[in-house]
Amino acid sequence: MNILGLDDDELISCVGCGLCLPHCPTYRVTGLEIASPRGRIAAMRAVETGVAPIDAPFVDAMQECVQCRGCEAACPSGVPFGHLMEDTRAALELNAASRPTALAARVRRGLEWIGYRVVLPNHRVLIALSWLLLVAQRLHLVPKRFGPQRFGPPLLTRSSLMTKLDVSSGALGDAWLFTGCVMDAWQRPTHLAALQVLQATGLRVAVPGRGGDCCGALHEHAGRRAEAQHLARKVMQSMPGDAPIVVDSAGCGAALKQYGRLLGTEAATDFSRRVFDFSEFVVQRGVPATRATGRTVVVQDPCHLRHVQKSHMAVRSLLSDGYELVDTDDDGLCCGAGGAYSVLQPDLSREIAMRKSAALRAAGADRPGVLVCSANPGCAMQLTQAGFSVQHPAELLRDALKEGPR
Amino acid sequence: MDLMDLHDVAAIVRGAVEDAKVGVVPIGAGTHREVANPVADGCDEIRIPNGIVSYDPNDMTITAFAGTPIAELNRVLCGHRQEVSLDPRNDAATLGGVLACGLSGIRRLRLGPIRDTVLEVRLIDGRGTLVKGGGPVVKNVTGYDLPRLVVGSFGTLGVILQATLRCRPAPAQQQWFCSSETPSYLRRKLFRPSAVLWDGTSTSVLLEGYSDDIASESKSADLDGMLSSPPLFPNGANRGRISVDPRRLAALTQRLGGLDGVRFVAEFGVGTVHIAADEDLAFVAARAAAVAEGGWMLRECGGPPGFGGFGSNIANPALSERVRLAFDPLGKLSPGRMVDV
Amino acid sequence: MCFPRSASDAAAAVRAARVHGVPYVARGSGTGLAGGATPLDDALVIVTTQMNRVLEVDIDERIAIVEPGVLNLDLSRHTRPQGLHYAPDPSSQQACSIGGNVGTNAGGPHCLSSGVTSAHVLMVEAVLPTGDIAELGSLAPDTPGYDLRGAFVGSEGTMGICTKVAVRLMPNPPLVRTMLLDFMSVEAAGATVSAMIAAGVVPAALEMMDAEITRAVEDFVGAGYPRDAAAVLLCEIDGLIEGVDYQVSEVRRIAQSHGARSVRIAQTEAERQLLWKGRKSAFGAIARIAPDYYLHDAVVPRTKLVQVLESVYAIARAEQLTMMNVFHAGDGNLHPLIVFDSREPGIWERVHEAGSRILHTCIDAGGVLSGEHGVGMEKRDLMPLQFSSDDLAAQGRLVDAFDPDGLANPRKVLPHGWRCGEVQQRGGTIPDDTWI
Repeated sequence: MNILGLDDDELISCVGCGLCLPHCPTYRVTGLEIASPRGRIAAMRAVETGVAPIDAPFVDAMQECVQCRGCEAACPSGVPFGHLMEDTRAALELNAASRPTALAARVRRGLEWIGYRVVLPNHRVLIALSWLLLVAQRLHLVPKRFGPQRFGPPLLTRSSLMTKLDVSSGALGDAWLFTGCVMDAWQRPTHLAALQVLQATGLRVAVPGRGGDCCGALHEHAGRRAEAQHLARKVMQSMPGDAPIVVDSAGCGAALKQYGRLLGTEAATDFSRRVFDFSEFVVQRGVPATRATGRTVVVQDPCHLRHVQKSHMAVRSLLSDGYELVDTDDDGLCCGAGGAYSVLQPDLSREIAMRKSAALRAAGADRPGVLVCSANPGCAMQLTQAGFSVQHPAELLRDALKEGPR
Repeated sequence: MDLMDLHDVAAIVRGAVEDAKVGVVPIGAGTHREVANPVADGCDEIRIPNGIVSYDPNDMTITAFAGTPIAELNRVLCGHRQEVSLDPRNDAATLGGVLACGLSGIRRLRLGPIRDTVLEVRLIDGRGTLVKGGGPVVKNVTGYDLPRLVVGSFGTLGVILQATLRCRPAPAQQQWFCSSETPSYLRRKLFRPSAVLWDGTSTSVLLEGYSDDIASESKSADLDGMLSSPPLFPNGANRGRISVDPRRLAALTQRLGGLDGVRFVAEFGVGTVHIAADEDLAFVAARAAAVAEGGWMLRECGGPPGFGGFGSNIANPALSERVRLAFDPLGKLSPGRMVDV
Repeated sequence: MCFPRSASDAAAAVRAARVHGVPYVARGSGTGLAGGATPLDDALVIVTTQMNRVLEVDIDERIAIVEPGVLNLDLSRHTRPQGLHYAPDPSSQQACSIGGNVGTNAGGPHCLSSGVTSAHVLMVEAVLPTGDIAELGSLAPDTPGYDLRGAFVGSEGTMGICTKVAVRLMPNPPLVRTMLLDFMSVEAAGATVSAMIAAGVVPAALEMMDAEITRAVEDFVGAGYPRDAAAVLLCEIDGLIEGVDYQVSEVRRIAQSHGARSVRIAQTEAERQLLWKGRKSAFGAIARIAPDYYLHDAVVPRTKLVQVLESVYAIARAEQLTMMNVFHAGDGNLHPLIVFDSREPGIWERVHEAGSRILHTCIDAGGVLSGEHGVGMEKRDLMPLQFSSDDLAAQGRLVDAFDPDGLANPRKVLPHGWRCGEVQQRGGTIPDDTWI
């Protein structure tokens, strides 16, 4: 039996010790074994070997995972849980039996289809919709349950959407700044800050050419593997050459770094080697001179920076001269944003966020004047909505540069 | 002296239990005879032999018959610079008596209660059966924890024949200090003192360890006065031991301080208060003070007629009675000792 | 399965189970290693993970009152700002719950100097098998009557379900030195442990790992464990400066006289934490070597360590099994670990045979079956190795006193035949000539 098509060696490498449990955000908030990595692997094993059917509880259990991969970092045996979950979701996506049949579920699936197939991969559509959303927000036409307070989209601003990145797209430079989909639509000022810092280090920076609209991370997380692969190929084409690729979104960076596995080609592996998280890249190049701002920053580690890219320490090297840095005492537990997770599993996402908020408050993040730094757009939105003043490391660094941006 | 074989001892005790009309009561040095309640009239007294069965200093465990005086244990252990944390008030007391009464020593703050010292016990239950509980090594969770249950059971679950104890390295140095600071202040200041006592007027502190450490600790807490001997325990015709939630100890000592004729020494951080009074009335008042602070007082000796050993209901009476019956269905073991008349 | 949020929820579950004659099992994080929380006979599983609040911390008196689902490490983390910690630290401490610790009377590396769970539990609030909620023990140092708390701690859910625990907290030591000692043979490491104890040096923790497990752990943590050592000792000394310095020098002297190749002292707290992370991840890292493992938990007198270790390796060689040892050496608490791939035909028989021989060896050396994991299902049928039938009968009567119906986690801890009413309940296996 090989119903989900998982890698047998990966699947049996869990010895069930449970050290992952406290690092799993959904286990933390529910206390349910089935909401833990160990429980999910046991369920995968049962389905894979034909002991249990693919039924609604199984599908739910798989969908409830945030895919933060905190369990991977905690696992002494190095179980590649992320692979197992992605492969399982891909198998479920292909498996007709797991498709919901109720009308509401089919409507929801239709909306998901539009999101994954139409909006994310077509940046102009996303930008256009964002303007529409901004107008709707101004006219108070957005129902409260989809409002910023309820972990819907953030309150958009005109200046943000109007921000211009003063570089030509697709032109060869010393480095690429990958801009992506949602972040470019809703948090372009962060890109601007990243660009200014990179330029301050003397680089000629380019942004992707046509087709580099979306990294496909959300698709891969949802099990929509073919779409993810398609987008990955387009992204690779949009940034040709050998220049390093700098990504200021931890989730996108993690995805780009895993194109080798996603596509299984040498070209993809080579491409992935060129990818760096923003902080990682700047630290490697040498952090430009900064001044002490006297401000305190509580560092939040996005999961895909800490557990997947493992480059979260670079954020600290980047900012330690300019800011008083404080860590949270929660082993980098997920904030519950999880890409599309906050939209797809709003209740769990909110509970996880409350836990994160408590950890941030314990570190003093709610004190006046204290900032929270997050290197991922999803986390930043989640934490902003929870009431914190969140900035990207690029913005913090830019504001602390001795010689301000050109 | 040749040691008796455990099974020979067991056979004698078994015979005594089986033959007893009323019941049996093990007798050692008699130092704890009056603690709690007297046994019913007509009980047969049994004496358990003394002697160290085995002592492995390199493993830090010692096994002895219940009749062994603590002074004897200490003498043997001292030769290897080790100790057991029993510390009875009178070291003529025997191992069996100390364990059965479960009265922890003055260093409980650092060493813990005596129940944590016992690794294995062998006893004769009320059916006359030889029962072993625990194990002879320093760490053991195999089966149910009979040793802890037996400590402080006043002989009502079994006649303890033999016990194996955990030893510790004896401290390089011990020094008592007196201080005018409050006990709470000293507890915050000092790292793991062995005892912090308060008698209503002054604080005394026991520090154990290496001399430089004792010196620097005492300096950091301004412990100026060294005591040449341990502080005296209150003594008198009536003696008792109060057990109270340590968070209410300060309030309790305040109450006790207001009682005429009550002398006390309170163990801070533990919640034990040693009480003595010459007058019955004062003794009764001390127990009332304990109860008022949510605690209780065990009678160690004295008290007016009808003064119960516990002065309080046994906790979880129904369950406790079922436990007692599990070991002693016929009620032959130290009958009356744990029941306030 | 049910998820009580309060003692009364749990009591309701127990009463309902009792009315319907259904057995029930309490479960925390499920990190137990003896199958104590594994439901048998379609038992109702009462999961305490949602009772996870720290109810009270008294800094001055160093007491914490917690619900059973609070994770062990979370409690120490909670009290860290006050300079306090909860001392028992099982290797699974980041995941295991206090309730489970109470159930198994859990140990851990630092129990060498500070004692196992029972020494740190002041009071347990429990739902007794009768459905009543009782407080066993008290915050006061002594309770009038029997130490029912002592009996309950380590009873593996057979005496009821703990719903609240008051524990003692310990002050963080002013000075901690963590030493890594590196040996060319397991025997030399074992002899060093025996010699340290004999010299009166009782460290805060004294752990041993042999070659293969050290390499697996190093692959995970990268703490600088020597990959070519035959055995390493992780030795932690804490306390005040003179005592620490003296003991560190004693440990160094003893280790070197037993041929230690190097003695490394962690220079920073981060380095120390990483060394400990390695030790505490050891069991979880096994899948780097093989997908399955069978872990034992015997204790032997510390004077017999070398001799028993030799026998244990010889047994593994005879059964052609991969054997590793990672254990609490200072307590003599061995954790022989047999690693294997259960897909290999006939392997289970050899694993069980080796396990049985190892336990016999430990008992013969004057040891016990379990030092900290408990008996559960795993060692239940081996209990007669350590206890006579009289001993087991007495234990059976004690549990019966708590659980007259025999519904609280049945068929755990004691082998068949020592609980009242067991024969009638299970039926089927009564020999013809038995009087009932």
